[in-house]
Amino acid sequence: MLSGDILLAVSLGYVALLFAIAFYVDRLSRRGRAKWLQSPLIFTLSISVYCTSWTFYGAVGSAARNGLEFITIYLGPTLVFIGWWWLLRKLVRIGRAHRVTSIADLISSRYGKSESLGALVTVIALIATTPYIALQLQSVTRSYQVIVGDVNVSATAFAIAAGMALFTVLFGTRNLDANERHHGVVAAIAVEAVVKLVALLAVGIFVVYGIADGVGSVFEGVDFETVYGETNIFDARWVALTFLSATAIICLPRQFQVTVVENVDENHLATASWLFPLYLFGMCLFVLPIAIAGLKFLPEGSNPDLYVLTLPLSLDRQDLALLAFLGGFSSATSMVIVAAIAVSTMVSNHIVMPLALRLVGGGPAVSGDLRRLLLISRRISIAAVLGLGFLYFQRRGGSDALAAMGLIAFAGVAQFMPGLVGGIFWRGATRTGALTGLVVGFGLWAYTLFLPSFGGEFILSKDVLDNGLFGLEALRPQSLFGMSGIDPLVHALLWSLGSNIVIFMVVSSLTNPGALERLQGALFVDIFRRADEMSERFVPGKATSEDLFVLAQRIMGREAARKLFDKAAESQGDVQGLPAPSDAFISQLERELAGSVGAASAHAMVRRVTGQESISMTDLMEIADETQRLIETHRQLSVKSDELTQTMAQLQAANDQLRDLDAQKDEFLSQVSHELRTPMTSLRSFSEILLNTENVSIEDRTKFLRIIHDESHRLTRLLDEILDISQLESGLPDDPVSEVDLDRVIEAAVDSISGVMKENRVSIKRIGLPVQRTALANEDRLRQVLINLLSNSLKYNRAENPEIHVHAHADINNVCIDVADNGGGVKRADANLVFEKFQRGEQALGEQGAGLGLPISRAIMRSMGGELRLEFTETDSSFFRIEMPQYVQ
Amino acid sequence: MNKTKHRESGKVEELLSSGKTLDRAFILPVIGLILLVTPVANIFRLETHVAGVPFAALYLFVVWGSLIGGAALLARKLRQYSSDRQSPDVNLDNSD
Repeated sequence: MLSGDILLAVSLGYVALLFAIAFYVDRLSRRGRAKWLQSPLIFTLSISVYCTSWTFYGAVGSAARNGLEFITIYLGPTLVFIGWWWLLRKLVRIGRAHRVTSIADLISSRYGKSESLGALVTVIALIATTPYIALQLQSVTRSYQVIVGDVNVSATAFAIAAGMALFTVLFGTRNLDANERHHGVVAAIAVEAVVKLVALLAVGIFVVYGIADGVGSVFEGVDFETVYGETNIFDARWVALTFLSATAIICLPRQFQVTVVENVDENHLATASWLFPLYLFGMCLFVLPIAIAGLKFLPEGSNPDLYVLTLPLSLDRQDLALLAFLGGFSSATSMVIVAAIAVSTMVSNHIVMPLALRLVGGGPAVSGDLRRLLLISRRISIAAVLGLGFLYFQRRGGSDALAAMGLIAFAGVAQFMPGLVGGIFWRGATRTGALTGLVVGFGLWAYTLFLPSFGGEFILSKDVLDNGLFGLEALRPQSLFGMSGIDPLVHALLWSLGSNIVIFMVVSSLTNPGALERLQGALFVDIFRRADEMSERFVPGKATSEDLFVLAQRIMGREAARKLFDKAAESQGDVQGLPAPSDAFISQLERELAGSVGAASAHAMVRRVTGQESISMTDLMEIADETQRLIETHRQLSVKSDELTQTMAQLQAANDQLRDLDAQKDEFLSQVSHELRTPMTSLRSFSEILLNTENVSIEDRTKFLRIIHDESHRLTRLLDEILDISQLESGLPDDPVSEVDLDRVIEAAVDSISGVMKENRVSIKRIGLPVQRTALANEDRLRQVLINLLSNSLKYNRAENPEIHVHAHADINNVCIDVADNGGGVKRADANLVFEKFQRGEQALGEQGAGLGLPISRAIMRSMGGELRLEFTETDSSFFRIEMPQYVQ
Repeated sequence: MNKTKHRESGKVEELLSSGKTLDRAFILPVIGLILLVTPVANIFRLETHVAGVPFAALYLFVVWGSLIGGAALLARKLRQYSSDRQSPDVNLDNSD
């Protein structure tokens, strides 16, 4: 008989070996020399953490009870692995690209880094894992008990739990690797995987060739029902178990941990795709023979779950029994360690971290190292998970409920499947869909499978189990809505997973994902199509590099953060100093942090530092709208501004014009007063002479009176003209225009000055034939203009034989009257001056007008829609031209 | 030998065979599913021993073993395919 001391010594020695391996590999990998350890073989062996003591001992027990059914637990994973190209590869790629730390992280990350989803997955994982851990504790304790005999069960279990906790804390939380990888632990687990395979194969070979005489003799005389099960091989339970095991190989937190999180090279999957099924094949090869042999050779009533141990013991093969014990011990410890790491990571990242962020705030201003908080929370979580497992074992140890726990846990974690698989293949999957599906599936799982497994001793009473909730038959947990007569596991699976899938799909199709969710969904579903720079989101550049560095070093530690920032700065082309907080860098940092604290927490923290969430689509739309409005306003403003500028220019022009006019008016007034002053002066001086001088001769008196008369006459004429021009220029109503006979007007004008003509011996010559045209004008006004021009020609003509030529002619629209004389005319230089008020030509002689004649004439013509111009012939002699519209009937 | 030509034809063959490889990667688990998790399994629930082993047990293990063998063959091709896709030119000459 193996003594307890030897067993203890061997166990401790084995544990010490594992410690040494883990320690050595950790050291190697920290020096970067563990490359050879990161091989596909090690990866595959670490996946074999799937084979727990439930496999090691339980598979034989299951085979002894139900025959071939045990194989389904290994067929499911086999199918998943040989189909690795379609599902596992995608999961691993996503896990690597997004630095996923756990299954909770992947699901929360997929659905917009949802904190609630991460927390829910964590809680479910914890609930499903705790009894599973208790099951391992029970296996080890029982195996110990079988070999040694009477032991203190509680103390043994506690010692085992404490030892595992210690190991896990030491090697599982040594550091916060950015990728949450644990090389030391993986190496130790690989060794354990070899041990358990070798142990089971050794016991199998011993049974087949030691106890029996070859395979044939094992099965000799055995009822086919024992091997095949009572009915068909294939039935609902067969499908359900295969399906469950297939989902478990992905959804169990520990499987996700070793397959996705610890994966260092995607190509390792290719090897694992056949090597892991081969491992399972090896584990299963002798299960049936051992079970049959146990049934055959061991006394009736032996526990089939311990055949692996009791068969060697029965033939006193203590060495083999010890190996078998170590195999079982290895299976149990590796599962517990990895599960504890996986679940504690989830608890610290998805429950402790978000709570800490809420309670103490995640801003970099808060003192204390988040990294320490994370490590401590993870260590406490590990201890708590194992403590819970131990407590569970204490309370329920030895009961049948515990033995059934393996499949119940599988069914529990299978609830992750719709959200997980749907999330990476279906863009339309939404957070709300995943959340409601998970909640309902989890609730139904608990109600139909988990709670009933306590046999009416936990929450659900026996009465509820038998008669349904509130006494309603339809609500009986194990035959919900009258679905009875089927296997309880199949029943529970149909209800929980069925509702989960249906609700997940329906709610997803009814709800809209948020912007971040949509983005993450696209990134996950199209992981093979897109480079990971696509995941760079718009984060407004509010963050300073200093803030980001403080945040990063709190999580990653100073050295790692420094390295990361240096590298980023270098890639930005800046050798010294901190990298610019570009969108790309912030996204990269967020991914790095996600490797330590999970995507949701990393996102929340970076969001706090950057001061803003990633811009949502709605935000973008609003910003776009706002911009559009601003652009429109700006456009309108600039139009207004243009208008204003124009108005300003117009005002300026008007102002200038007014100033000009004002100046003209001033000038006009001063000219008028000057013009008036001259005759007034002579009037005053002559009348003063007449008044004050007594002896004025009649002659003189007559002369003076004549001058006074002439001057007052001139004054009157001047005032008339001033009135005239001011009337014309102030735009008073125009004189009515009508049909005017051109010839007649000319004749009348010539007639009216004929007296003066004779006096000055001037002859007027009509050139050209009478035109017999009619103009549209005011006859009196036109005659006035004509007289003015003629008398000007009279006045300024100093020729020997003064002549005036009047020439009337017409074109299509206008009629013209040209007035020329042989008196020298106007020089070209004076052409503009003659129409100015009070200007006189140089040649002006003798008694002159006030210089208002021509301006008045021009104003008259313009008011009638005509024009008065000074024209020049080719020989530079000048003439005046009156132009006016032709009368049209 | 014209090396370029050899290369090109090698590439075409590779492309064609990679399509086949993907097909096989899909068909293998489906075949496994049909043989192991459908009523097909019941056909082999024969009450005879072959090589001393109950027939159905042998059937399951043989199918299982064949799937593993198929996966092992496929794994090599698939690994090659995925590394080709990551760096299209690197593995051209490794194919022979």
